[in-house]
Amino acid sequence: MRRRLKVDPVGLGAGAAMVALGVLIVLDSAGAVAIPPGWMAVALTAAVAAILLLSGLAGDDPGRQD
Amino acid sequence: MTDDTPTIEQPKTEDQPPRRLRRSSSDRILLGVTGGLGRYFNVDPVIFRIGFGVSVFIGGIGLLAYLLLALFVPTDGEPDFAQRVGRRLQVRGLWRGLAAIAIVLLVAAGLVVLGGASALVVAVGWGVPVGIAVIAIGALLTIVALRGGHARWLILPAVAIATGASVAAASDVDLRGGIGDREYRPLTARSIPAGGYDSGIGRLVVDLRRLDWRREPVLRLDLRLGAGQASVFVPGDVCVTGTTHVGAGESEVVGERNSGVGVDHDVGSGSTAKPRLALDASVDLGQLRVINSDTASVEGRAYGPGSFEEGTAPLRAAEARACGVG
Repeated sequence: MRRRLKVDPVGLGAGAAMVALGVLIVLDSAGAVAIPPGWMAVALTAAVAAILLLSGLAGDDPGRQD
Repeated sequence: MTDDTPTIEQPKTEDQPPRRLRRSSSDRILLGVTGGLGRYFNVDPVIFRIGFGVSVFIGGIGLLAYLLLALFVPTDGEPDFAQRVGRRLQVRGLWRGLAAIAIVLLVAAGLVVLGGASALVVAVGWGVPVGIAVIAIGALLTIVALRGGHARWLILPAVAIATGASVAAASDVDLRGGIGDREYRPLTARSIPAGGYDSGIGRLVVDLRRLDWRREPVLRLDLRLGAGQASVFVPGDVCVTGTTHVGAGESEVVGERNSGVGVDHDVGSGSTAKPRLALDASVDLGQLRVINSDTASVEGRAYGPGSFEEGTAPLRAAEARACGVG
């Protein structure tokens, strides 16, 4: 029987949030889009909130291996 | 023989519990330290609040004292977060606890430095590589998470880098153009660079009062500064027209002061009077001054004595005269 890998939801969510933020930074810096500071603040807050939410919902010790 | 001297009955000390310093759970703004001190010394807690507030600006020793009192003086009610942290520190040992706090502060300072450095790198024109680095860190986190591993230690640095970079990218702060103080006093229009004056960080002064305005009745000037103070001086009889922009900070343009975020100013009301300065000035972060006065000092106070309104009234009057407005 194959052993199922346990996905780390916090790492996964943080990674996705960082990729999304990185894309916004690249697009804004390259001049492809002009993101107003207010909307960037919203995106940043949403990313941090998502990480905190996932961290709270996961609630486990990241170093613990079941 | 009897002693008729009246005696004052002393209260029985064993009936009264010893007075102990406790943080107040009812009279509190932050953690009840000043409320408890006020009750203990029987004085108005406002005195302690003012004392702690003032001490923050004098080396911050009061802030440290407040934190220590909050951690190690119990409350008179249910134990709060600070009391639980204090107990934990006492259990683990004071020095170990202080060392843990020092490590946390160091890590926080490191994250702030990381975010600031990332913002600086973006502001000097390396936004795309920084953005790609953030994407790469995000991809690494995702891959490790999908493979069942843990790389959560990467999250905080990644958030710090992304925060600094995104703030710098969105606010369009451009620090290219060098760092330092620059003063220009052109005598002819030819000596003004075709693209105008551009600086990254510092103080940028363009004094156009020695220019021969009879030869250059209409002068176009572009000026851009990343962060700092930019000042343009013109003679009082020159009409200033054009647009100014301050990303975040203050603009003082021919006697009108505005401040905040995204401060745009349309000056001159489209006048075609001569001599005229057609200005396109932008400061991302800081202060922009446009001063139409023959006597204003470049180094010291630019305006006359009194309030800003009083001191700049001659500038507004001169602009109205020069532009033929009003």
